Formats: sequence, C-alpha cells, structure tokens
Amino acid sequence: MNRHSNDTILKMINYMKPSVNKMVDDTIADEAEETALEDFSFINKTPLKRTASKLSLDGGSPTTPVKKIKEDIKKPDWDYIGSPREVRRLRADLLETRNTISNLESRINHMHGIRKEMQVLFDNECRSLKKQTEHDRKSILELENQLQTIRKREQELKLELVEFKNKSSVLKISYDQKIEALEKKLSDISSEQKAHHGQENSEIANLQRQILELQNALQIAKEDSEVHQKLTEKLENQLLEKNSAITELEMKNNEIQKLKLQMKEYDYIKENYLEFQEQAKTQSTKLAQFVQIEKENVQLRAENFRIKDEIKNKLLLEEEVHDLKKRLQKFKEQEAKFANVQMQLVQTEMYLNEWKAVARGILEETNVNDTALPHLLRSAVERLQQQELTLTDEKVNLQSQLNTALHDSKVAKEELSKIQKLLTKLNGTDEQKKNLIHRMQKKLLLVSRERDSYRLQLDSYEKDLTMCVNTSSLGSQAANQVQSLKERVENLEKIVTGYRDMVAKLEADLQNTEHDNSDLPPIRLEQITRLQNEVDKFKQENERLRERKDQLEIQLEEYLVGNDTLRGGRVYHLSSNPLSECLAQRDAHMQKLQEEVDRLKRKVKNMEEGMESSKLVDISMSTKEVQMLKEEISNHELQTQRLKDYFKSSMLEFRDAVYMLFGYKVDKSSKSLYKLTSIYAENAEDILCFQFNNSGHLNLLETEYSSRLENLIELHLRHQDSIPNFLSSLTLDLYSNRTMITEQL
Amino acid sequence: MATVLKNKSSITLRGSAEIVCDYLNYGINSILYQRGLYPPETFRNEENYELVMLMSTDQKIKEFLEKTLAQVKDWLVERIVNKIALVITNVKTLEVLERWDFNVEYEGNDTSKEQKSEKPLNIIKKEIRDVLRQITSSVSFLPLLDCLCSFDIHIYTKDDVELPNEWAESEPANIKNAQCVKMKSFSTNIHKMETVVTYKNEDF
Repeated sequence: MNRHSNDTILKMINYMKPSVNKMVDDTIADEAEETALEDFSFINKTPLKRTASKLSLDGGSPTTPVKKIKEDIKKPDWDYIGSPREVRRLRADLLETRNTISNLESRINHMHGIRKEMQVLFDNECRSLKKQTEHDRKSILELENQLQTIRKREQELKLELVEFKNKSSVLKISYDQKIEALEKKLSDISSEQKAHHGQENSEIANLQRQILELQNALQIAKEDSEVHQKLTEKLENQLLEKNSAITELEMKNNEIQKLKLQMKEYDYIKENYLEFQEQAKTQSTKLAQFVQIEKENVQLRAENFRIKDEIKNKLLLEEEVHDLKKRLQKFKEQEAKFANVQMQLVQTEMYLNEWKAVARGILEETNVNDTALPHLLRSAVERLQQQELTLTDEKVNLQSQLNTALHDSKVAKEELSKIQKLLTKLNGTDEQKKNLIHRMQKKLLLVSRERDSYRLQLDSYEKDLTMCVNTSSLGSQAANQVQSLKERVENLEKIVTGYRDMVAKLEADLQNTEHDNSDLPPIRLEQITRLQNEVDKFKQENERLRERKDQLEIQLEEYLVGNDTLRGGRVYHLSSNPLSECLAQRDAHMQKLQEEVDRLKRKVKNMEEGMESSKLVDISMSTKEVQMLKEEISNHELQTQRLKDYFKSSMLEFRDAVYMLFGYKVDKSSKSLYKLTSIYAENAEDILCFQFNNSGHLNLLETEYSSRLENLIELHLRHQDSIPNFLSSLTLDLYSNRTMITEQL
Repeated sequence: MATVLKNKSSITLRGSAEIVCDYLNYGINSILYQRGLYPPETFRNEENYELVMLMSTDQKIKEFLEKTLAQVKDWLVERIVNKIALVITNVKTLEVLERWDFNVEYEGNDTSKEQKSEKPLNIIKKEIRDVLRQITSSVSFLPLLDCLCSFDIHIYTKDDVELPNEWAESEPANIKNAQCVKMKSFSTNIHKMETVVTYKNEDF
C-alpha cells in the first residue's frame, strides 16, 4: 500500500514544476503525513484509492489523473530545458527531497511498527483490563453476596441479641426473685438461729444452776461418807476381837474332842487284852490234844490212799471186762463166719476139682500140673475167642451176601413180571397184527380182483380195436372212419398207458402198504398221529410266519421311506463341504486331544514314579510344619493369656487407683454406660449413671439418687457444664455429711 | 431378488432356475438357522418374500452355498438335476439324522432353451412364501438335534454328467427309522419344486 502511494508520490514529484517544488515538498510531506495518518486510522479500508483520489484532487484532474499529469508534464518539459544550473539545483533538491522522503518513509515505517507494538500492547492491556474488570465485577458480586449474607447474619445476630437480652432480663428478674427468696430464707434461718441461741443460753443457765446444786449435794454426800467410814472402821475392830475369841473357843473344843478320842482308844485296848487272855487258855488246851490228832491224821491219810487205789483198780477191771465182752462177741461172729467159709472152701475145692477135670478134659492132657493148668486154659479160651471172632466175621459177610442175593432175586422177579407183561402185550399185538394181515390179505384180494377186472377191460378194448381194424379195411367210405378210429386208438392207447401207470403205481403203493402194515402197524398209526400233529404245528407255524412276514413288510416299507431314491442317477456334492470340513476339524481336534492325553499319561507316570520319594519329604515337612505351627499357636496363646492376666491386674489396680484418687468407683455396665458410686455414699444404691451420647459427650442419666441432687446438677452441670465440678462438689457434700454425722455421734 | 422379467412378465428358463436357486438359498439358510446347526448370532435378518429371513453371515457357508447354487442353476437350465438334498449328519457317528429333499420336476412340453412361463411372479412368490413358512414351522415337530451336526448338499443328477472341478461323487443318504413330511410345493411352470423332510424318528 505504502509502496503504491510512494510510487505515485514519486511520479508526481518527478513531473512537478520547479516553482511549485517547495510547495509540493511541503504538501508532499504533509500529504505523506496525512496518508500515514489516514493509513493509521483506516487500516482496514482501501487506502490506495483514497490516496489516489486525494492526489488526483490535488493535481486538479478528477477522472484520469496519471494521463493528465503526463500531458501536463510533457508541455513544461519543453519550456525548462534552457537553465542547467537550475536543473542541477532542482536535481539536488530532488535528491534532498528523496532523502527526506526516504527518511520520512523509514520514520513512517518505524512509527507504524511502534504503532503496531503499541496497539498490541494496548490490546493486551485492554484484555487484561477487561479480565480485571470482569474479575473485579465478580469479586464485587461475591462481596455483595457476602455483604448480604453478613447483613442477614447481622440481622439474625441482632435478633438473637434481642432475644438473649430479653432472656437475660427475664433471667435477671427470676434470679432477683430467687435471690430475694434466698435472702428471706437466710434471714429466716438467721432469726431461727438467734431464737435457737436464746433458748440455748437459757438452757445453759438452768444447767449451770443444776450443776451447782449437784456439787453441793456431792459435798454433803462426801461428808456423810467420811462419817460412815469411821463407823465402819470401829465396827471392823470389834469384829476382829470377836473373831479372835471365837477361834480360841474352837481350839478348846478341839482339845476336848481329842481327849475323848484317847479315852475311847484306851477302852478298846482293854477289851482286846481280855479276849487275848481267853484265847491263850483255849490254845493251850488245844496244844495238849495235838499229838493224838496227828496220829489219827496219819492213819486216816493211809486209809485214804488205799481207798483211792482200790477205786482205780476197780475202774481198770471194769474197762477190761467191757473190752473182753466186745472181743467175745467178735469172736463169736468170726466163728460163725469161719464155719461158713469152711463150707465154702469144701465146696470150692469140689468145684476146683471139677474145673480141673474139665480143664484137663478140655486140654486132653491128664498129666498136666495144676499150676500150669490155668495158663493153658486161658490160652485155649483166647484161641476159642479168636475163632469166634473170625466166625462172626464170616457170619456177617454171609449175611450181607444173603441180603444182596435176596435183593437180586427181587429185581429178577420184577424183571420177570415186566417181561411177562411185555410178553402178554406182544401177544396182544401179535393178534392185532394177525388181524391186520388178514385184512390186508383181503384188501390184496380185492385189489387183485380189481386188477383182473382192469385186465379184462383192457382185453375187451384190444378186441374192440382189432375188430375196428378189421372192419375198416372194407370200403372206401370207411377211410375217414379209419382215420378217426386211428386217432381214437391213439387216444385210447394213451389212456391205457395212463391206466397202466396208475395200476403200477397202485400196485407199488399196495406193496408198500402191505410191507409196512405187515411190519409195524401200531407204530405206523402213532407215526400218522405224530405226523398229523406235526402238520398242525406246521400250519400254525406257517400262520405265524405269515404274520411275521407281514410285519416285516410293513417294516421294510418304513425302511424304504428313509432310503434315498436315486432314480437311476448319481449324487454329487462339493468335495469341500461343511461336513467334511467339520469332520477334518474334529479329526484334528481328536488327534490333538490324543496327543495331550498321551502327554498327560506320561506326566502322570513320571509323577507317580517321582511321587514316592517326594511324598515322604512332603509328609515329613508337613508334620514338621504342623508341629511348628502348633508350637507357635501355643506360644501365642500363652502370650495372650499372660497379656490378659497383666491387663486384668493392671485394670484392677487402675480401678482401685481411680477409686482412691477421685472417690468414685466406676463400673461399665453396658455399652458406653458408666455407673459411679461415691466412696462416701450413704447407701449402696446411690448410683450415678453416665452415658456417651452421639456427639461424644457424657450425659447424666436420671436415677433415683440423681433426682435427689437437683441443686448440684443445676449448678454444676447446667450452668458450669462441668462433670468434674459436679462430682467433686458431691464428694465434698457427702464427706461433710458423713463427718457431721460422725461428730454428732 | 434376481428374477428375470422379460416382455410382459414372462419367465425364461434361466430366470426360473434363478428363482429356484433363490428359494434354495433362503430355504437352506432358514433350515440351518431353525435346526440350530450354527449359532444364531451368526445370522442376520433379511427381508424377502415379505418375510424376515435369517441369512448366515459365516463366510464359509456363504461361499459354499454360492458355489453349489451356481452349479445347480447351470444344471437346472440343462435339466439334469433330479433332486437337491440338504443332508444333516451327526459328526460323531456319521449317522444321517435329517434329509431335506428338494425334488425338481420339469414342466411343460417345450424342451428347448427358449421355454417361457407366463405364470405371474407374485403368485410364484406367494407359493414360495408358503413353503418357507412351513419350513420355519417344521421346528415344532422335528426332533431336537442335541449333538454336534453338520450339513452337506447333495445334487441328484441324471446319468452322464461331466463333473466340474472340486466336485465329487457321494453316497445316497439313508436314514433309519425314518419319517417323512411333505411340504407344499411351488412351480414356475418350468420347474416344479417339491420339498420333503425326512428325519430319524427317535421314539421308534
């Protein structure tokens, strides 16, 4: 743009008149400045046109400025050729002006740059300022909001303040009333106290008076007691004197009694002496008679001995007699036995002799010793016994043989009877057969007769034929007849041969039947019946098979439904169809699986082989581990037990410490419920309950006891909101109560 | 729908073959979906014959059907095909469990390639729609295929056919204890298509 404008300017300058040059210079400079300014202000518009139009206006050519200028320039060129100095000057001026122009241009450019920078700066600043203003606006809004909220709060607070003031005034009034009431109470109490004081003073004076009276009485009583003491002393002295007199009297009585006792002793001694004298007399008399008595004594003693011996002897004899009697009886018995034995002996001897004789007889040896006889006899007897044994054996054998023979005979008899039965049967059959044969022979006769009759017939036919032949040979008319007859004959011959065949067949049949019937007719019958049965059976089977066939046909039809019908053509399909692909895939899959199975089998085998060694290690490891773990568990249990014990003991100690330090026993009955009992509690039931609420503070729960402590609760909990204060004041109260009680006691 | 309409709704032989192949394509896809041979999520809806048909999106099945049906179309034009059979086989035992026979009969006396049918297309479509409906409802009586199954398409031709590449001869698919149910048939007046399903009766 600038270049364009500059070009136009240059062009203008080139064709300017020298006279107007300076003017032009000025105007150019002005123009340039103006254009610059214009550019500056209308940067987005088309400056070229504007400048061009302005220039054209300056040049005085409104439509085509360049051409006109050129025409203008062409004319003066011709006029100004004459003065070269001026031209030079003009050129120098021109150069200068060019320089100035370039300077100005550079300045303009510079200015432009500055302007741009400035504009950028301005823009930036403008943006930042806008941002700031927005920010400020926002902050202002926020602040306004805050202000509003604050105002609201202020209002609320004011309202609250007013409420509080009201409340406080109300409270003040109430408290004033309370204070007044309390002061009244205080004054009442003090007046009461004064009244009590007066009463107490009067009581004290009365009591002092009483004390004085009692002191006087005490002095009087003391004097009385002194007098009484003197009296008692006197009386005691008298009593002592009397006592001494009494003891003297008793001493004298004792002496008297002692003397009396001595007297009695002496009397006794005297009586004893008299008795002794009398005894001495009787003893002397007895002494004189003593020798005689002694002699008598000796005699008597001897006599006594004798009598004793006799008695002894008598007893012995009696025993002997008794013994002998017994023996006698025994002997008598033995005697009787002996007689018997002797008799027996005789008899036995007789027997013995007889036996011996017998034995000898048996042994057939007369000259045998009697001693050797029994042995021989025994051996003989043994021999005989053995013989008997063998004989019995034989007998048993024979008996068994007999039994078998009997059995055989029985069997034989049975067989015989059977055979006889059979024989009779056979005879019966024989007769039947004979009858049959008879019948058959009759039949045979009949058949042979039939045969004869057939033969006769045949002969007659033959005769007929010959007759016909004979007749036919005569006459020409008979030729036809002959022809017909010939045919007839042929026919008849055919019939005959048929008959013959029949006859032969019949004969053969007859023979067969004869043969069969003559052999075994009843068996034949049986066979027939059997065959009939079989025929029936076969018929049934046939029916069954037919049914089966029908069934099978039905089945076959069903099968035919499933069968593919080719209609004589062929079946084609693409060799790479889904079925074949599927099968191939399946095969591949199967193979893969098989391989895997093999691999796994091998693995299993390896595992099994390797198992036994590894197993043992595993087991030992595991047992070791188990033991280790068990030990660990026991250790841990021990630890926990110890910890529990420790905690228990420390807990108890702590509780005790708390109890002793703060005067309250704290029990936790349930979840976050604490029961407090004071150390100075009047009753065991005086319990305070505290519980944690949701905000983590302790609440005092209402109990019977707490309802009695309304004052303390009001003061310490509601006003001061301090549980420790409440508790300590309670402690103090309780303590003072207690001490009061103890003091009063 | 690739029906060929020429000169006042007349159907050429080739057009008829195309109609038949279209029917086969939709019918086979429908059977594959209904019988649960492939997971249902591999099928997408496609509206045709005024019915919502489910077509397989499995690339392999699509390719296979395309190849087979192209061949069938050629052979239909040549009047070689007797029957097209969709055979469902148990993969494990190779036992044929179901066979869908699409019997083809050639109608009309004209045996040249210029044979044309004047039967209106919308009537043919209606007939095809009825058959497809029947195929869809056949699930109610056909036994459940509770084993791994796959399918194959057999083309029964007359004798003496030159086998193209990738084609092989196959065995007829016989079914034991079979029961068969005939569906409705449709005709283009050139080809008559009779659909029969033969299946193994489990209760026998």
